[in-house]
Amino acid sequence: MIRRILSLVNKEFLHLKNDWWLPAFMLFGGALELLMIGWATSRPITNLPLMIWDMDKTPASRNLVISIENTGTFELMEPATSLEFIRDQMDRGNINAAVIIPNGFAGELNNPAGKPILQVILNGAESIPAREAQRAIEGVVWDLGQKITIQKLGVSAEQFAGFNFSLRVWFNEALNEAYFTTPAELALMLEFTILLFAALTFSREREFGTLEQLLVMPFTSLEIIIGKSIPVILVGLFDFSLMLGVVHFAFHVPIRGSILLMFSLAFMYTLVELGKGMAISVFSRSQHQSFLLVLLVGMIDFMFTGYAAPVESMPQIIQTLAYLIPAHHWLAILRGIILKGATIRELLPNVLWLLVLGSIIGYFSLRYIRKALD
Amino acid sequence: MSFRHLWAVIRKEIQHILRDRGSLILVLITPTVVLLLMTYALAVDIKHVPIAVLDYDQSPVSRQFIQKITAGDDLDLYTSAGSMTEIENLLLRGKIKAAIILDPGFSADLFSLQGLALQVVIDGTEPETGGFAVDHIGWRAETFANQILSTQLQASGLAVDTLQPIDLRIRAWYNPSLVPQVDLVPGLLSVVLGFPAFSVALTLAREHEHRTMEQLLATPIKRIELLLGKIIPYILAGLMNVLIIPLFAMAWFDVPFNGSFLVFLFLSVIFLFAELSMGMVIGVFMRSQSAALALSFLVVMFPGFFLTGIFFPIASLPELARMESLFLPGTQYAIITRGVFLTGIGLDVLWPYAVMLLFLGLVFTGTAALFFKKKLA
Repeated sequence: MIRRILSLVNKEFLHLKNDWWLPAFMLFGGALELLMIGWATSRPITNLPLMIWDMDKTPASRNLVISIENTGTFELMEPATSLEFIRDQMDRGNINAAVIIPNGFAGELNNPAGKPILQVILNGAESIPAREAQRAIEGVVWDLGQKITIQKLGVSAEQFAGFNFSLRVWFNEALNEAYFTTPAELALMLEFTILLFAALTFSREREFGTLEQLLVMPFTSLEIIIGKSIPVILVGLFDFSLMLGVVHFAFHVPIRGSILLMFSLAFMYTLVELGKGMAISVFSRSQHQSFLLVLLVGMIDFMFTGYAAPVESMPQIIQTLAYLIPAHHWLAILRGIILKGATIRELLPNVLWLLVLGSIIGYFSLRYIRKALD
Repeated sequence: MSFRHLWAVIRKEIQHILRDRGSLILVLITPTVVLLLMTYALAVDIKHVPIAVLDYDQSPVSRQFIQKITAGDDLDLYTSAGSMTEIENLLLRGKIKAAIILDPGFSADLFSLQGLALQVVIDGTEPETGGFAVDHIGWRAETFANQILSTQLQASGLAVDTLQPIDLRIRAWYNPSLVPQVDLVPGLLSVVLGFPAFSVALTLAREHEHRTMEQLLATPIKRIELLLGKIIPYILAGLMNVLIIPLFAMAWFDVPFNGSFLVFLFLSVIFLFAELSMGMVIGVFMRSQSAALALSFLVVMFPGFFLTGIFFPIASLPELARMESLFLPGTQYAIITRGVFLTGIGLDVLWPYAVMLLFLGLVFTGTAALFFKKKLA
């Protein structure tokens, strides 16, 4: 049996020899992709174009502008001279925010009973930068306000330290963006790699009409399935190691947990996705169709993983459904091991879920595939 | 170029699409369905973030403070912890995203204006929830401290109505409450309308893989006719989504549509031409469908997602990525869709982006035609 499976595995690799692009993508595509995404996304939001209309033109207003500039969030555009100009620039999408310092800002600021007005206009057509701009400007204004209050109260700065609290960030002390993004991207990349290559296994044979040839040969359906699985698993685990290397060496993310545990669970997760991918593959009539199905299934998983938005904030029904998505547990496991140094004890609920879901998916996929092949 | 030839290729391609019923349905619905899924996945208002509290002060003020902090639906009190180890454990298991530790002198420090004897710990692995918790805890803590300070000052005869002396007036144009899906849906259009590009790449690679390309070329059909015939059916499939998605966006997600629909339709056709030509280049180079797929993911899907300014502002990208984003049709189209949906601008402002899209489309088609010839020669 083993010899026959090996000959099947050999056949799969033989197919790769004809086209060197494919093995290159299979082996290095994932790592390259991760490198690209990580490079683009693992940085804070900075350089947002900001326009300032300083009608006051006093030292106080200039100080405010400098404080805003010092946040590092913005890049100052040419100063505005009218609201129409701001409107035009915002319509064109050239700026994310505008700050208007009205006449008499400094006067109000120095007046004991005064309350200076500061106007901010955000470009709501890009809500993510708009929120970031709002946060940065609110921070500057808050600090300035506290300083003024202290002055007004006649309290010296030593007496009143301000109401700031100490913040500690666990697992990511320096708030490094790459820590947030790259382990999660690694988890998703592994899923997509396995799903895609598993989904193409049978649909390619079917499209070429070679599936029948394979079936009349003296192989059992189980042997065919195992023979088709081994290359996908090998490629998946190789890609995973390479991508882990990218996460660790290119983005300097520490790996705090056990590597052995991580690879064992990665192997387990690979089998789960393999089951899904192969079921898609047997179901599809062509490679084109398997790809489209992978895209849909992958997107549904993506929604439940908690990569982009926390699952806790989603409707209750989605939170419950998320438990049934293997990728959700896989993401928690990978983040846990890499960043938190979690051991099997902390990860037990996720591992058990993965095990249960994997068994169910595996059982049904195997039954479905064997039935379709026989 | 002969339109009879072009039509023959289009008919062949359409017949092929129609024969594979499953793929046909998927080609037509995938963009819309994925847009729905992605909007639900990404446009989430963060709330109910679970936190734990460790109260070493145990005073009426500290209890009142904890009550104030968890009063809204933004932060949920998961548990009152008894020790640091308990908090450590909860963070490790991911049960809580943040913890507040009130030090022994909390109320005393507050009344003597010594500041806040307060520590906040967040889970640094999940940026959104962690940052959200910090912002909201900070905001509530400052309000709480200010109230106490104000009452104290009033008691001592000083008139201070508020500790925030600057009147900050923030307005957001086009999307006053900064609802995420309002700009996400138009932005995502540029991602999901890129999916037919995969189909174009696959259909061209299929002809190589099945060795039917030679047969096609033995016919009097010119290469450019073949290429255009291959993408036109998919441009039509994409256009169907261009018609459906705005309806969904307006009815389902309350996204306004302030511009002209005709302008939107016209620019969408140009975008589809440019984006699908990228798929054409891939299909010409790749000899197998799997390789074409893998390359499409690398050069269409992920840059289209991360470098077009939908999630991450282009201004914050490194120089090289900013350059690259200029040459992605998705970048231009995201500006166009947001402009047409939200800002309500017309061709007078948008024409440079349209020209750029047309230019990109011609360059991609030209590249495909050129290398197609060389590869076969």
